[in-house]
Amino acid sequence: MKLIKKGLLDSWQSLPIYGLQHEGIPPGGAMDTFSLQLANALVGNDVYDKALEMHFPAGVYQFEKSTLIAICGADFTACIDNVEVPMNQPIKVPTGAIISCKKPVSGGRVYMAIKTLKDEQVSRVKIMPWSMGPEDAPNQDPIRILCGREWDHLKACSQQLILSKDFAISATSNRMGYQLVQEPLKTVSTATMLSSAVTAGTIQLLPSGQLVILMAAHQTTGGYPRIGHVISADLPRLAQLGPGDRLHFTLTDAVTAEYEWILQQNYLQQVRNVCSLKLDQHRINHR
Amino acid sequence: MIPQIYELGDSALTIEFGNEICEELHEEVIKRFYQFQSEPLPGTLDLIPAYASLTIVFDLGQVASRFQGLSGMKTLIEEKLAQPFTSPVLEGRLHEIPCDYSGPDLATVASACGLTEKEVIAIHSEKIYTVFFLGFLPGFAYMGTTDERITVPRKDQPASIQAGDIGLAGNQTGIYPSESPGGWQIIGRTAQIPHFKAGDRVRFIPVSV
Repeated sequence: MKLIKKGLLDSWQSLPIYGLQHEGIPPGGAMDTFSLQLANALVGNDVYDKALEMHFPAGVYQFEKSTLIAICGADFTACIDNVEVPMNQPIKVPTGAIISCKKPVSGGRVYMAIKTLKDEQVSRVKIMPWSMGPEDAPNQDPIRILCGREWDHLKACSQQLILSKDFAISATSNRMGYQLVQEPLKTVSTATMLSSAVTAGTIQLLPSGQLVILMAAHQTTGGYPRIGHVISADLPRLAQLGPGDRLHFTLTDAVTAEYEWILQQNYLQQVRNVCSLKLDQHRINHR
Repeated sequence: MIPQIYELGDSALTIEFGNEICEELHEEVIKRFYQFQSEPLPGTLDLIPAYASLTIVFDLGQVASRFQGLSGMKTLIEEKLAQPFTSPVLEGRLHEIPCDYSGPDLATVASACGLTEKEVIAIHSEKIYTVFFLGFLPGFAYMGTTDERITVPRKDQPASIQAGDIGLAGNQTGIYPSESPGGWQIIGRTAQIPHFKAGDRVRFIPVSV
């Protein structure tokens, strides 16, 4: 693909890469790993392949070979040669075609998976006759959290506030973390903590009384109180929110967190199986 | 003290050996780090040592479907901690790092501690430090503990710091491996940034440029 016009924050992202956090190297990876995996499945890519993560305004790219693509996650009105194309559906695009995103409709990050079609010269854009994944825009359900080690450091009124009020995502939020805006939270103890490991989804309490949720590009360790943790299954949905959006929290438990994760992984595995079958039926070489 | 094990979200467990920065606790962390590295629990993705804790990050799918989730892993960790770990613990390497003590904050540190700049340099370079863990930036080693005579707070506002800058914060010292904003008091710099591992030892050798 050739870059025609640079986007705000385009990057190739895969699933997080673990195993180096003891060297201070975070796992990183895509913010919305669900949409990443869906896009890769639709074009028959490997689960660990990279896809292009784009924010609005997204980059403009020209295809230099016949390519199979899929667009998942945010709806930015993706267009090929200025004609809108559907999301969550594989699309064959010819050499020279240009992809651009015209207008943000919903979500914060779009994922485009690509697969070069080695055995085929595509002459025009062809939308393949199957689609997968969510049909509606992401829902507005509360973000489910587990209590963190320092949840009890908060005064009862502040605990109540976290579970009842909306939080706004500040403009300074990025792939490292979301800063939240609310009235400052109050603590019962001011005991200092030793730095220790943190994860994507860890909610830290800053000295200002504001919260920050660590996202995909978080550091490996941190020393602020850990008020809670967003469950893994809700991180993709959180990743589709951006500066100015609002969210609210609800408490859940470890059993629910594990169940929801398994449900999501099973769903993605089914999608991969179905897509593999469909690609075979349409004689698209994806092995 | 019996280590406490707590959940860090839905896919990680932290083993807390204590709540202070000291070399005895840290030796236990490193010993257990090597134990869980040489005999990994199923589904282990990462092992993250810190001052007085070791965090194990798991593949949630694998752990939830085959080992009753994190509560099952907690039991396995308790069993492992109960076993004495006999494998030879790798002795940390000693790094001797030439340090040009001409950092922009040396004078501030000296006056805050009621010392001369020469005394700060002598105190900082006489001790052999332990690399407690790597974090904050890839390759950033948290080292300590520094002599209490040169204990200084972080800056209120982070400043722009260059790769190789050597700083102080609390009873810790460290070398910035890359350019970054940072709140540590910069007392010197070096052109030599080794590949640190938790448990390594470090001594700063004063040089003049």
